[in-house]
Amino acid sequence: MSARLLVIEDGSEYAEFARVFLGEELVVEEAHSAAEAAARLAAGDVALLLIDLRFERAPAEALVGDLAATAARLFDGDEARALRYLQDQQGTLILEALRRAGHRQPALFVHDFPPRRLANLRALYGDVSAVPSFDAAAIRAALRAALARAAAQGAPPR
Amino acid sequence: MAGLLLVAALASCGGASREWERAEALWRDNDPAAWAAWRALGDAGEEGRRARARLAEADARYRRGIALLAAGQAGAREELAAGRARGPIDPALYLPLARACRDRELPRRAAALYRKYLAQASGAAPDDVAAARAELAALDEPEDPILDEVVGVAPARRLPSTALTVGALAAAAIALAGAIVLLVGAVRRRRGRTLAALAASEPSLQPAIALLVGCLRHELLKHRVLAVTDAVRALSSGTARPGEREFLVARLYGGDPLPLAWVGHLGAFIRALGPRFDLERSDPGFRSAGRAVAEIGALRAALVAGERSAAERLRRAHERLVAFDRALAELTRRLTHAPIDRPLVDEVVAAIDAERRGAGAPEVAITVGALPEGVRVEMYRVDLALVLRNVVRNAVVAAARGPAPRRVAIDGQVTLEPTGEEVVRLRVRDTSPEPIALEAAARASGRGLHLVTSALARVDGGLELAPGGDGYAKALVVRLFRALDDDSEDAAAPPLEATA
Repeated sequence: MSARLLVIEDGSEYAEFARVFLGEELVVEEAHSAAEAAARLAAGDVALLLIDLRFERAPAEALVGDLAATAARLFDGDEARALRYLQDQQGTLILEALRRAGHRQPALFVHDFPPRRLANLRALYGDVSAVPSFDAAAIRAALRAALARAAAQGAPPR
Repeated sequence: MAGLLLVAALASCGGASREWERAEALWRDNDPAAWAAWRALGDAGEEGRRARARLAEADARYRRGIALLAAGQAGAREELAAGRARGPIDPALYLPLARACRDRELPRRAAALYRKYLAQASGAAPDDVAAARAELAALDEPEDPILDEVVGVAPARRLPSTALTVGALAAAAIALAGAIVLLVGAVRRRRGRTLAALAASEPSLQPAIALLVGCLRHELLKHRVLAVTDAVRALSSGTARPGEREFLVARLYGGDPLPLAWVGHLGAFIRALGPRFDLERSDPGFRSAGRAVAEIGALRAALVAGERSAAERLRRAHERLVAFDRALAELTRRLTHAPIDRPLVDEVVAAIDAERRGAGAPEVAITVGALPEGVRVEMYRVDLALVLRNVVRNAVVAAARGPAPRRVAIDGQVTLEPTGEEVVRLRVRDTSPEPIALEAAARASGRGLHLVTSALARVDGGLELAPGGDGYAKALVVRLFRALDDDSEDAAAPPLEATA
């Protein structure tokens, strides 16, 4: 039986890509917010996460992160800049929320993170990997490696 | 068979509607009717929905830019440029924008905007129209070319006078000749510069350039060109599956035609950077990418016919765009990285201490404590030095006015954010009991802290007030995001513990 991949994004591009290029070996499901993703993960069976980083099309109320607190802490109270920041970094904040809820599935981003930032994300959230672009071969290899790591650790996905 | 599938996929894709092409053309031409044309697309179709979404995003940026301009705060140009990059402006906004320009003492720009508003004001409230006419009449027209280009304002037209004397004509001819010489020089200087050179020589344009490059990479290169890498490879080797072919066709030839989308992005650069800055002429990377985009656009028929040579040409053009994307990533990475290190702080401290001695102010002991090593921030060194000079100078001047012992201490630390980013905080403490009215100082145009907050806001940095501790009365903290995408040795150091 194929492993289940949960795609978390604000549009449908990632899922469309995944169904075309990964659909032969993975069952692709979609979520469009942290709440949707958490609900789907709570039902069990998902082995892998593919997460979009930028959620610029998502409504502000659906974003993870306290707008006023972020504005106060990082942007001198400027909520427009804080909103842009929350949108631009939403994928990592969703991952934080999912980890906090106890979901440990390996997560993959399609983004050219600098090595140090990827190392920081791993320090924060465990099994996180990234490929720089929509290269199906690279994405497939990264997801296979993540599945192998999860199997080696004997940690069944929640 | 493969050719038939491709034909079927191409036929189902269709391409952009004439209405959308016309609406986009109006926008590119900076026509005030563009907004209505975008709205008229309705929201029944994909194009209309996309146009509505972009209009909403643009509108938020325009309004924010106008508010910042009206308040005399930093970031107005960047917000307006971002609006321009997304879509046309609602003509109703010409009036508040005109008023903001008038209040910022930009009368020529304000006058042009009032005229644009009045030309489009058929559905506007009569009181607003009357007020706009009165305000325009009260203006003393005659300042900022970037704002012109951002808001798409043409210089005010004046009717030629029939009463010019021969002497005046001669003077005008001499002035015109001089202006032409200056203009030609300016055009040559601009045309001769690559995007990287422009960014390096004009730091104030850097946020707009970063935004425009980001949009180009994300919307066109990532989601349309890089997304089809595997399909291009498979098509070139003759192993493409039907699903891969359909995906490739949809991404490269569906929606806005790729060459049109490319022109749209170049238009956004021109609108933000100036009509004379033509990237396809001045920047070899853009020139090569433009040719690759045109090549891909022209291959549609040959791919439909199943020509093997077309697949190979597609592969080569695609490779050029992949290389172009890497070059853009490198450009944005290298634009602004500056080390925030001991030599810089020592340089600033020495300069400020020399200023204090020169002014005959009382002695102030300045100590530099622990600083993060090997850390770079996304800022030009000259801007970073300006920020530090102003913050340290304020602390030293305040401490010198205060009671003994007069001391200033500087140190810094790095913390980890939940996003995996790192924030650098450089803390400057002093013994002066004088409070700092940070918000008021930051708004006072021409003041040091206004310059500091403007420079920091451009790179998503800021200033924080904090308790002094250890006998210091207070601390002013400079906050900046660490540049993680550099080649410094420290980038490979172990990750930080989570502190956020």
